[in-house]
Amino acid sequence: MAHLTNPLATPSQLYALTTLNSPLPIDLQHSIRFYTARLTQAAGLLLRLPQDITAQANVLLYRYWLVDPLLAWEFSDVSAATLYLTAKISASPRTLRSITNVYTYLLSLPTFPSPTTPAPTAPPDPESYYLSETAYTTYRNRLLNIEGQILNALSFTTHVSLPHPLAITYLQTLSIFSLPPAVSTRVAKRTIAHLNTALLSPQMLYLTHQPPALATAAIYLAAREEGVKLPDGEWWTVFDVEREELGFLCVGMRSLEGFVEEERRRWEGRGVLTREGVRGEMGKLGLNNEVGNGVEEDEESQMARLLDEKVGAVST
Amino acid sequence: METPTHPPSPPGDFVAFAREHTRPQNRFVGCSRITDYEILGKLGEGTFGEVHRAKSKKTGAIVALKKILMHNEKDGFPITALREIKLLKLLSHPNVLKLEEMAVEHHSKPSAKKRAIMYMVTPYMDHDLSGLLENPGITLTEPQIKCYMLQLLEGLRYLHDNHILHRDMKAANLLISNKGILQIADFGLARHYDEPVPVAGCGGGQARRDYTSLVVTRWYRPPELLLHLRKYTTAIDMWGVGCVFGEMLTGKPILAGDSDANQLKIIFELVGTPTDENMPGWRNLPGAEGLKFPPHPPTIAQRFREAGSGAISLLNELLKLDWKKRVNAIDALKHPYFRNAPLPARAGDLPVMEDSHELDRRKFRGQKAAPPPAPKGGTVGMGVGNWGGEPTANGHAGFGNGDNYAYRQQNGGRYPPHGGHRNGVPPPPPPPIDDRRRAWERHRDDRPDTRLPPRPPPADYPPYDGSRDRPDGYRSRSRDLDRDRAPPRSRAGAPSVDTYIPSYGPDGGRRDDRPPRDDRPPRDDRPLRDDRPPRDDRLSRERDDRPRRRDDRDERRHENRDRDRLDYDERSRHSRTRSRSRSPIRDRERERVREREPLERPYDRDRDVYRR
Repeated sequence: MAHLTNPLATPSQLYALTTLNSPLPIDLQHSIRFYTARLTQAAGLLLRLPQDITAQANVLLYRYWLVDPLLAWEFSDVSAATLYLTAKISASPRTLRSITNVYTYLLSLPTFPSPTTPAPTAPPDPESYYLSETAYTTYRNRLLNIEGQILNALSFTTHVSLPHPLAITYLQTLSIFSLPPAVSTRVAKRTIAHLNTALLSPQMLYLTHQPPALATAAIYLAAREEGVKLPDGEWWTVFDVEREELGFLCVGMRSLEGFVEEERRRWEGRGVLTREGVRGEMGKLGLNNEVGNGVEEDEESQMARLLDEKVGAVST
Repeated sequence: METPTHPPSPPGDFVAFAREHTRPQNRFVGCSRITDYEILGKLGEGTFGEVHRAKSKKTGAIVALKKILMHNEKDGFPITALREIKLLKLLSHPNVLKLEEMAVEHHSKPSAKKRAIMYMVTPYMDHDLSGLLENPGITLTEPQIKCYMLQLLEGLRYLHDNHILHRDMKAANLLISNKGILQIADFGLARHYDEPVPVAGCGGGQARRDYTSLVVTRWYRPPELLLHLRKYTTAIDMWGVGCVFGEMLTGKPILAGDSDANQLKIIFELVGTPTDENMPGWRNLPGAEGLKFPPHPPTIAQRFREAGSGAISLLNELLKLDWKKRVNAIDALKHPYFRNAPLPARAGDLPVMEDSHELDRRKFRGQKAAPPPAPKGGTVGMGVGNWGGEPTANGHAGFGNGDNYAYRQQNGGRYPPHGGHRNGVPPPPPPPIDDRRRAWERHRDDRPDTRLPPRPPPADYPPYDGSRDRPDGYRSRSRDLDRDRAPPRSRAGAPSVDTYIPSYGPDGGRRDDRPPRDDRPPRDDRPLRDDRPPRDDRLSRERDDRPRRRDDRDERRHENRDRDRLDYDERSRHSRTRSRSRSPIRDRERERVREREPLERPYDRDRDVYRR
């Protein structure tokens, strides 16, 4: 059923990501995906959007970045545009004004909110996130332009099938809810938490696996972590998941913790990740950061540039 | 990672089977380019834009390209289009028009202001049912009718089973290929419904929540909607099927009301006046207040006696006043009508019919509009425009203004005007006077037969009065914004007749070519029913139906045109004004307007619509 499946990334698309985003190093790509997805998540909360809308927005975000380069647009703009688009076709749309307000607020924060950073003592100065009418118009037009880009890149495939409802069904099928409520609730919550966390995965698990597999893996992990025994035998095959896929997903989901830890060490205490910040980081790494202004460098000029650099390096 | 490539699965592996048979959508490749298609010619102007026939350079398939112009939308890509595209992408059934893909046409000089133009790519279909029935050279045989009915019911069963209400069932939205395949098109008004799907023997079930009652083209609108039932079910689509069925049997729309009140009246004349037995609860419907109809026995059997008892029996099931007992698609498919001789034809056995396509039909009808392949109505959007053809032809100089219009549905600019804007209400530019009258007349004749009111305008109907204000307010507001120079509109104006005529202006020549349609029964009787003063009014009203759908842009366009051409006479001016002010907005428009509270915020509108 088309409702239950998602379009997936093809291996060649995943492979092409390196060249698509060149010369952005892979770890920075990961950071961009992770932090932008978190930004969407934060905006979704502030906009009081149901989590399924926010989750779908993040899936669309990753889908879009499979087709267009990460540096083509400001990250927060892409995030805002996907969120707007997703909400627009849902039952809980949000106005562009609300969206731009929320993003302006988030961008104004000196430190991106995170569970580990202490909450600021004083509320931020309202003037720091006031969006004037002209600024709003500019912002809006920018977002609408990106919306068009996203639709075009996705060929209007805006339907996203989420594993969350499936996971609940699966838990019921596995009779988890016949356990004591305290236990079953913990397992269910943990399952959903895994699914939501997987949205942030730089491995783009939602683009490489169908919802049944994601749901199954989340249940598997949650049950293990909560010490709940699941049926003997390969119960996951009932849900159309093969052992290898399950194993891969479990590793993928578990690895997120270490990844986040590393990201935090690298970016802790900074505001929203922007192209500016990424370019700065690239500068530190000694990478050319001329590219990425939304203008793609074609192969020829890239070659010429590399050649110039080589020559320059030799002659000095 | 194991996923992308699945190892060959053992026989009997359902997973593999399912994977192989799911609709291929496992990629996001971006839209294809318009250059991937070789344009073969324009099919006509659909309700919201032009439709072209084209050949895919990749596959060689003949497709229809329906343009969705990206205009300067305040809310970005039109939500109705998005919603329809999303729905269509999820559907896959032989009797539901498939959206192959989206194609994009970039402007040669990309600039921030101009957005790319999007096309919906659907398979090319040779006819639409409405056009087919209008073609005097084609008579449907009983096996043929049965064949189409079965396909229609199959498609509808699929939609209903997938929690989708079509909400714009009508002959013009049923496309037919020369292979005898019927497909349901135009999902511009469709939405998911929340209730359980229909099950055999239980009709449409029971609705639990409110939906907007401002849906479905008037001629195909069921009585419960005319009485403003908000908790409606899939049964509303089944009524439409009944109307289409009757239309196939008789060759013309069977319930061509010219106002909502009149629609109810002729419905009751056909199926009998409602009583507590045949339509329990009807008295409690909001629209039933103060309604009085002299008791009238049903006349279905009489009116369709030539069709035979089987057909009458099915028609009675489909056109049942009691929406709770109205047959659902599952049960209708089992009706003995389809099992009695003459048996339904097989789709492949149907004769290849004269290529009665848009252009051909124009011969008959003058202004046809929507090309068959493309669903006219709501495909993308909101209102159905006029059916098409309204000829706003291309190339008319006046139309150039299109670009400036900010109209939700987009269609802006590059392409001149097409007639059918679904959104709005369009006042047409005045054409030369001589043509005008004739056009009308002709129009009148033709129109009624088929596609008249794409989506019926609300305004005429007293019950709607309350709501009318809003739409008017809304419209006028936008009008004001859009065109400062618009002449004042007054309700008291003359009939709107002329108003629309203008739009034909450009087309005049074409229409004139049409042979007079003597073959068709004069439809004058219908207009007469109308309580309004005779006069051109009638005509205009009919006309209004279509044009109303156009949007502000059209309106403005016309406006501009008017400005440019001073040759219209007093009368036309009059009528123009009048029509505008009083002209009801088409359903979609109406729906939108109604649903959104704050008129200023189109956004809310959409949201509301979506929610209902």
